[in-house]
Amino acid sequence: MRTLLRLLILVWLAAAAEFAAAQAWPSKPVRLIVPYGPGGPVDISARLLAAKLQDALGQPVLPDNRPGAGGNIGVDLVAKGAADGSTLVMSAIATLAINPTLYPGLPYDPLKDLRHVTLLVQVPNVLIVANDLPAKNVKELIALARQRPGKLDFGSGSTGSTGHLAGEMFKMMTGTYMVHIPYRGSAPALADMMAGRVHLMFDNLASALPSIKSDKVRALATTTRARSSFLPDLPTLDEAGLKGFDMTTWWGVSVAAKTPQAVVDRLSAEILKAMDAPDMKERLRNMGSEAPAVRTPDQFAAFVAAELKTYTALVKRSGAKVD
Amino acid sequence: MEGIFGNLAIGFTEVFKLQAITIAGVSMTLPFNILMCLIGVILGTLIGVLPGIGPVATIAMLLPVTFNLAPIAALIMLAGIYYGAQYGGSTTAILVNLPGESSSVVTCLDGYQMARRGRAGPALATAAIGSFFAGCVATLVVAMFAPPLAEVALKFGPAEYFSLMVLGLVAAVVLASGSLIKAIAMVILGLLLGLVGTDVNSGVLRFAFGISEMADGIGFVTVAMGMFGICEIIANLEQKEHREVFTSKVGSLMPGKEDWKRMWKPILRGTALGSALGILPGGGALLASFGAYTLEKKVSAYSHEFGKGAIEGVAAPEAANNAGAQTSFIPLLTLGIPSNAVMALMIGAMMIQGIAPGPQVMTERPQLFWGMIASMWVGNLMLVILNLPLIGMWIKLLTVPYRYLYPSILLFMAIGVFSISNQPFDCFLMACFGLLGYVCVKLGCEPAPLILGFILGPLMEENLRRAMLLSRGDPWVFISPSKPISMGFLLAALALLVIIALPALRKKRQEVFVEET
Repeated sequence: MRTLLRLLILVWLAAAAEFAAAQAWPSKPVRLIVPYGPGGPVDISARLLAAKLQDALGQPVLPDNRPGAGGNIGVDLVAKGAADGSTLVMSAIATLAINPTLYPGLPYDPLKDLRHVTLLVQVPNVLIVANDLPAKNVKELIALARQRPGKLDFGSGSTGSTGHLAGEMFKMMTGTYMVHIPYRGSAPALADMMAGRVHLMFDNLASALPSIKSDKVRALATTTRARSSFLPDLPTLDEAGLKGFDMTTWWGVSVAAKTPQAVVDRLSAEILKAMDAPDMKERLRNMGSEAPAVRTPDQFAAFVAAELKTYTALVKRSGAKVD
Repeated sequence: MEGIFGNLAIGFTEVFKLQAITIAGVSMTLPFNILMCLIGVILGTLIGVLPGIGPVATIAMLLPVTFNLAPIAALIMLAGIYYGAQYGGSTTAILVNLPGESSSVVTCLDGYQMARRGRAGPALATAAIGSFFAGCVATLVVAMFAPPLAEVALKFGPAEYFSLMVLGLVAAVVLASGSLIKAIAMVILGLLLGLVGTDVNSGVLRFAFGISEMADGIGFVTVAMGMFGICEIIANLEQKEHREVFTSKVGSLMPGKEDWKRMWKPILRGTALGSALGILPGGGALLASFGAYTLEKKVSAYSHEFGKGAIEGVAAPEAANNAGAQTSFIPLLTLGIPSNAVMALMIGAMMIQGIAPGPQVMTERPQLFWGMIASMWVGNLMLVILNLPLIGMWIKLLTVPYRYLYPSILLFMAIGVFSISNQPFDCFLMACFGLLGYVCVKLGCEPAPLILGFILGPLMEENLRRAMLLSRGDPWVFISPSKPISMGFLLAALALLVIIALPALRKKRQEVFVEET
């Protein structure tokens, strides 16, 4: 009897502590680590989110740029940091799904050291080709690549970027061979494509859209399962015959793994509320993001695990590695 | 022509438009856009003066604020910050040998020497006037020739960029006023330092010694502040209480008649070179100020004064960097391609506002496009009006005793370097470069060629390897007849090399540049 009572009290105390944590959180300013330099799309969306969260939480939410080592330094800071919800990080496909294979000595485990809260932005990639390339659709492109093996060039924003890996996926699924030309960011790659020096690219929708709209390059397909509402007439690669092709660029918010469940729930609820606010929704959409289907922390965690598996295989195949 | 004036009329109407604004419950009618322009240029001047805190970080921080503004007001302000910073950056370069932006490294060379000779006032005024003139002309270039120039920019591929950089590096040797062999050594050291970090092609880490803070390479600001700022402080402290400064013999604040006569041609040449190189998205604007300086040194009748406080050495690069800053809007406005980090941010700002940057902006939103161009003119005018009276104040800074001045400069440098990536490591690195700089000074090696090598090295390597990848390993791609631009640059580089190396000329060169010992 006594033991039972003790146990009950213990459980009650634990629950109360949990409750108190959720009530008390955040008791001090919250840091939102952006593991990249200021000004990129992840940084911009973090600043949009920080302004919204600040109003909802009643504590300052401060974006803190910690660039370095492809984003790993900033993410590691949170993975190893205090698990009290006072430090959040903008985690992304690079730091959670690609870098674990790209950087052999990664200091954190993306599944064990982090708790993934909410997926914030998910942008499709688009297969675009130079205007003077004869291929008018995906089928013709595959035929052209088969006919001229090793003659076509595909550009990307960097080695190990989603654009690069989407290209590798395309090569793998079609059994073709094309040469990867890495750039520093997708803008110079896009410029070389407009000039006809590079033949194709799997670019992020947000950066490619203006050039597509002004007919500087030609879009052939999106890399997502569903069509994009920005280009509703454009088929998906899945429709064009590459069954199951589904790649997006995404980022969201994560915290240290041992953060109390109540804090994670509250944070997730507030971020989702912020994302559903009409002005925020509009701005995220302007960045090329359509409301992601992944919403709860559990869904996000499952999504990260699935992406990690896909990209581990892809990076290994592409042969890219940072020693 | 008529179209241009019509368009500019649209632009100026937009800039000076009166808007009903409600601030804190009080509604009033204000020329809001012009106010935003003023705020932008003031902010820009401030961050330009503060070493290390650059326009990228400032614009990123202000971005959420701008979302509540009309797109035109937001863009006018952000653009103002950008070219305002170009003005402000030269101030610290001239006064304390501290280049805040990469483009003001060259201004240090002769600007600081002018200040040491008690001519800080004319140097600052020359920088402001040169920048203003260049800004006005370059804005006109943007307004009239943006679309055709964008086509020219597209002609520059990896091979062309590589050859341009080769020409730039050869010219870097001319930057030094001392020994030829030492200048080459410094360029090579700069190239090596530029290789630190992640390799673009394979993603392999190079020369990082397992330090994760070095995975993204060494920051330009870290190197420049160490090699110029810290090194200068050490070198000055060495001379015990013998303050060479400047205050006792501060002459007139404004350039004299002789100065005007000497500066107008360099300003014209600098503007032309800056406008041309500014349209190239891959580091063209960076080359502009270095190129302008080198050009002046070659053509000027006063070339023996370069490195010792020649007014041409301030006027030309300042004009070039401001012209380049304006024309670097061309790829952004006409192709939607950002030519540097600030332009990428502007694209971010436009997209969040729901505007897709690109050629359609000009036709679909003429108010926005022409309003922005008109605002650059007004902004440049504001900057010169703002900066000329400030010169008197800046000069007073020089009378501050070393024991207050130097700790403050060190503090600001540390804050600036830290604020770039929030890593204490960078401050230590800056201190190391300070020591390296001091050693170089003692050895009679100048830092400017090192800095240029450091900037150009990574760009050059990247473009070389990209060009080779695209040509599948065929080195003839750089001099094939199908690439006349690339071939032209390489031939020019060769010609320059011959001029430098010719024994007869070298003898003359040694007469002119007797190494100071």
